[in-house]
Amino acid sequence: MAEYWFYREGYEEQAREHFKTLPDPAIKLEFSIGERDFVNAGNASSQIKMALKRLGVDSAILRRIAIAAYEAEINETAHARGGDITGNIYPEYVLIRFYDKGPGIDDIEQSMIPGFSTADDQVREMGFGAGLGLPNIKKNVDVLHIDSVTGGRTLVEIIVYFS
Amino acid sequence: MEDNKKYFHALQVKTQKCVACMKCVRVCPTAALRIRDGKVQMDEKRCIDCGRCISACKYGALVPWSDSLEITKAKKYKVAILSTAYAGQFSDKVSYATAIKAMYHLGFDEVLEESMITEYYGKMIKEYLKSHPQIRPVLSSNCPAVVRLIQVRFPSLLPNVLHLESPMSVLAMYYRQKLHLEKNIPDADIGIYQIVPCISQVTAVHQPEGNISDIENGAISIQEVFGEALQVLPEAAHDDRKIEIHTKGLSWSVSRMEAADLDDGRIKTLAVSGIPNVIEILLKIENQQIDPYDFIIFHSCTDGCVGGVLNVENPFIASSRIRHIISIEKDTKFEDDQIMELFQSGEFKVTPLEGRSIMKLSSDIKTALEKMKRIHQINATLPGLDCSACGSPTCITLAEDIVEGKATMEDCVVLLRKKVKNNRKKVIEV
Repeated sequence: MAEYWFYREGYEEQAREHFKTLPDPAIKLEFSIGERDFVNAGNASSQIKMALKRLGVDSAILRRIAIAAYEAEINETAHARGGDITGNIYPEYVLIRFYDKGPGIDDIEQSMIPGFSTADDQVREMGFGAGLGLPNIKKNVDVLHIDSVTGGRTLVEIIVYFS
Repeated sequence: MEDNKKYFHALQVKTQKCVACMKCVRVCPTAALRIRDGKVQMDEKRCIDCGRCISACKYGALVPWSDSLEITKAKKYKVAILSTAYAGQFSDKVSYATAIKAMYHLGFDEVLEESMITEYYGKMIKEYLKSHPQIRPVLSSNCPAVVRLIQVRFPSLLPNVLHLESPMSVLAMYYRQKLHLEKNIPDADIGIYQIVPCISQVTAVHQPEGNISDIENGAISIQEVFGEALQVLPEAAHDDRKIEIHTKGLSWSVSRMEAADLDDGRIKTLAVSGIPNVIEILLKIENQQIDPYDFIIFHSCTDGCVGGVLNVENPFIASSRIRHIISIEKDTKFEDDQIMELFQSGEFKVTPLEGRSIMKLSSDIKTALEKMKRIHQINATLPGLDCSACGSPTCITLAEDIVEGKATMEDCVVLLRKKVKNNRKKVIEV
């Protein structure tokens, strides 16, 4: 079992408070993701993005959320056996949970290095698996939490604050 | 979110003709149309003048408006600028030169073609790409309906839009100066009229976004000009005046041909046409889920300007004819470096485009969240058929309309029917 935490500077305190109190979100959007369903891949992040757009979230912040969420959604489709996505929207931030059905990440620290990839040929042929997924997510979020069991399920949580 | 800006629309609503068939409501890409009390209503802020509802309406309730040829009488010196789509409207029996000559017989003193300027415009795009290396992809601003779509639904992409006047407006600006300087014609006497294939270009002439108005004096539809041109074709065919024709640039009437023309191996272009495709690609750009393109050409109509609702001919036939004209007719190269000087001095730049805030449920996020919560709750009780029988395009838009106080649960015909059925059961049981 491995766990990974990343906080952008200045956000650690707020984020710890969230994970301690686990408040109920104002809006909860739930999706289930199919394995290698490349046709529908991106729907969940698109819909979360649309909701945030309607709430008036700043477009530069929206863009970061969209990029990170799309990467994580593709991860569930291309590199895992599908899973669930939940968008939890609060007045000050959004927390998106990606809970896949495995097979788990062996070495999270290594997968954070740009270019490192374990993707197979089919996935690479589709244009995915360049080893930039997790680093790209990290670059765009304020908080990144990964909890993975080798051979088991992986939970990826991202938080982006609206200001 | 309310702003008080007034919007001009070349789309006209004839309420009394509406039979509430809901066809227009379903095709509108910005959910600008509703049927309320059995009649169509248009939200001025949302409408982008794409013209899809005009094609959908069979009852004459949604009709295009454009300037009449009559208005040209008000000016002493009349100049027509022909959209590239014009060339595709006439049958093979009418040469492109004759189609142009017909314009003189309709009273114009000079006839310019959009296709004259495309080569220079291509140069401007390339220089723009060079001077804005941080912006990729750059999105074409040629189709006013797409620019408005971006303002309404994709405001985050506005910085990516090519901030340059359209080719026809560039030509109009350049030519107005030229007439003034070289022929000494006072500005008040000059009338420059665009001959346009779609209503969004009419709207753009009357209410330009991000640029100075009064570049042109009017926008006349290809349909109207075509009808009048047919009358004078016999004279035009025997008119032996020498004219130059510019055929190469006609390729810009078709998105893909424009993209091919611009792709010199150094810039990577993509052509997208038809509103559903345009929306799909804009979503992908917003999420950065797209190959790295330098320049993307967007047209709201099928295949490009040949697909506009103010044309006469089917877009595929028109584009085939244009391809044929390009291959058989000799092109005259249009040269005047004055144009590039004007470009370099910033004459064709437009002010930064601004978004329209229709997407936001409220300016305050807490109120917006409350509203969204109620929208989701109401939506969950609706049948999810998106039948539009209520007069809103989809169940979720009805839920929004209810939350905004613009509709009620009773507007849902499916739920109402269930209710009536249940009540009947109860009565029978009694």
